[in-house]
Amino acid sequence: MDELGPRIDQMLAIPPYSLPPEARQAALVELLRDELEYAAEKNAAYRNYLQHWPTEIRSAERVADLPYLPVSCLKGDVPFSLVEPREIKRTLTSSSTTGQTPSRIVLDSPTARRMTKGVVSIAQDFIGSARRPYLVVDVPGAVAGGPELGARGAAIQGLQPFASEVAYCLKNGSGGLEIDREKLLQFAEARRKSQVLVYGFTYILWKHFVMPLRAQNLCLDMPDVHILHSGGWKLLQEEAVDKKTFNEGVASVFGCPAGRVIDFYGMVENVGVIYPDCAELNKHVPVFADVIARDPLTLKPVREGQTGIVQVSSVLPTSFPGQLLLTEDLAQVVAYDGCRCGRRGVCFRFMGRVPKAEVRGCGNIERSRQQAR
Amino acid sequence: MNNLILDIDQPEQVSAAAAELRASLTASEVTPHGVLEVFEAWAATLGERETTDIPGVQFLRMWLRRGTLEPILTRELGCAALEGNWMADGRAMLKVFPLGVVGHWPAGNIEIQPVLSMTCALLGGNACLVRVPGGLEDISGRLIGKLVQTDTRGVLTTRIRMLAFPHVRRDLHEAMARVVDGAMVWGGEESVMQVRSLPFPHWARLEIFGPRISIAAMDADSWSNAQECESWCRRIARDVWQFDQQACSSPQVLFLEKKAGHPCEEFVETLKAAFESENRMHPRQTIQASLTSAICGARASWLLDDVAHRAIFPPEPDWTILIGRGSEIPKPTQGKTLTILEVDDLTDALKDLDGDVQTLGLAVADAAREEMLASLAARRGVDRIVKLGRMHVFAPPWDGADLIRPMVRMVRHVPSRV
Repeated sequence: MDELGPRIDQMLAIPPYSLPPEARQAALVELLRDELEYAAEKNAAYRNYLQHWPTEIRSAERVADLPYLPVSCLKGDVPFSLVEPREIKRTLTSSSTTGQTPSRIVLDSPTARRMTKGVVSIAQDFIGSARRPYLVVDVPGAVAGGPELGARGAAIQGLQPFASEVAYCLKNGSGGLEIDREKLLQFAEARRKSQVLVYGFTYILWKHFVMPLRAQNLCLDMPDVHILHSGGWKLLQEEAVDKKTFNEGVASVFGCPAGRVIDFYGMVENVGVIYPDCAELNKHVPVFADVIARDPLTLKPVREGQTGIVQVSSVLPTSFPGQLLLTEDLAQVVAYDGCRCGRRGVCFRFMGRVPKAEVRGCGNIERSRQQAR
Repeated sequence: MNNLILDIDQPEQVSAAAAELRASLTASEVTPHGVLEVFEAWAATLGERETTDIPGVQFLRMWLRRGTLEPILTRELGCAALEGNWMADGRAMLKVFPLGVVGHWPAGNIEIQPVLSMTCALLGGNACLVRVPGGLEDISGRLIGKLVQTDTRGVLTTRIRMLAFPHVRRDLHEAMARVVDGAMVWGGEESVMQVRSLPFPHWARLEIFGPRISIAAMDADSWSNAQECESWCRRIARDVWQFDQQACSSPQVLFLEKKAGHPCEEFVETLKAAFESENRMHPRQTIQASLTSAICGARASWLLDDVAHRAIFPPEPDWTILIGRGSEIPKPTQGKTLTILEVDDLTDALKDLDGDVQTLGLAVADAAREEMLASLAARRGVDRIVKLGRMHVFAPPWDGADLIRPMVRMVRHVPSRV
């Protein structure tokens, strides 16, 4: 670990989208191999998994050849940890909107520090490095203190290094979340001429902020704003809101160009890495991470233009085995390099969750007879 | 799509199809012998280019042969039933009559099942209303197209209507249930429960097949015999490969009885070779991403749950062997994921079965011991006990029930002048 920390920091110091794919692969593979060995030393169960991987880890030449862990293995009441309990500074929990058990991600100090650095490194490539007023479209309780922090809270906190001050503009009303109108208008009035950063969960931003303000025909007139949002489109798709409608709607209430609205894909388990949309509406991968879309039939990386199951990789975590995670999401690889926005490396588009099994056959038993009795 | 598979959008279309079937039932009788004649001709055409690549079609061809079906008819309905005659039963006479219109709700995971289910009811002289599961319309259309080509006199085609509609259309399921006299229902727990709740007439007979799982078991003498081990492993691979291990008759677990001086690694290596060989011969053509995720999840969770667990699998999701100990059947993953559980004695594994297990594939060296194990398994709810390699052979009784008899009426006539 003593030796891994400085090497990870070196990766973090590289401009996030500067390396050509070959150079990135070489740097990542070597570090990830060593991180896997470190993780295997720390956790006997993980060691058992790695020892049974069908290919030799030491001879892996690409990130795609290294053993990945299904993200479902991080779901559970007991966190999957590589550190002693006394070293754990915080536990992040995934949103788990479908009623499943959430993931529990333990962070020690080095991993937490790298998480912040990673998000800052990525975000500043899209919005610049200046500190500015930060408007959070949520309730203050979303980042309430305590040992556990949810996905919303983690996203809000991840952008705080860009904040010169923070304001929350929602409150809990009798009918659910509602706008703290006075606070919002005061904030908008005072920061109209300055740069502003706004963050909200996609659905909350639309349902509890944009829709009510549009109903009141209210424009905040904040042209120098960047609005970041994350959290998935499932609920908005159910309401037939597409990305274009969303971006135009958000832009109309802030009085800014639609290009200032930036959607980013991120997951709690992939600490320190977010994937904002570029101007071409593609998502990019920083040098300290990788994204592979695996063909469901072969589990090999797909060709450009094809869709596969997303594997996220990151050198940042050392407190839990989150280096190589097979997610339950699908993505289309747009190109392995050469996005017109100028960022190097793979660019992709998120294509939603892996659909549930369509065919429920005669061998599908939901519960045993003993349980049913 | 040919005119035997109808795209249904309105409940009235279902009623109209049923009315046509009732008219054909009234217009003529068909004997099992007459059905077998058409089946034989149909089987001969299924080897043609349009249908030969359909998974399970070779089995369907075998099933449709007179040599396969005559013994089944004789056992279930009696010798005289073949020609549609009355048969003596003491002073009385018995004769088989159809139930009427039989509805079929097949599972979507077995390509030939809509047709297979239908053949059981046709043998009883019934007419069939078949709901074709989503994704099987093309395959069912090709299979039934061959019947249309063969059955030029319309002996059977006048008695069949296959209906295609989305599974979420409860109104169409209900319309189908209202017009049938019997139903053959196959599938998973969720779909079976939904079909059971449909408004069938009070006289309708329901025959439910599934959901079940199946297991395999080998005694110490069978797997440790070097001469036989390879052959057994080929048989296990064959059982696992068919239907991508998603059928109720697919083995999910193999209980392996320990043998002193014979580490199970030798057996696992032989089984691995058999899986690799079967995979070369029958590579998977397509897979749902959710199954790939489930396979990756099963591999990882097995190895993470217990450091004593072992596993062998290739980088692809093609097949997986998980190795551990104990008699508890883990949640099935399917997709060619076989869990080998070592046990001290096979009775340890069988005594806790709870009725979820349909088929037990066995390899036991000693006949008397096999009989004891078969009886134990049967007492614990197992309905089929077969030799490894024959777990999918669709021979009645299936799930402990006959396939033809449940959908016929056995009419008793005591002559008034006797």
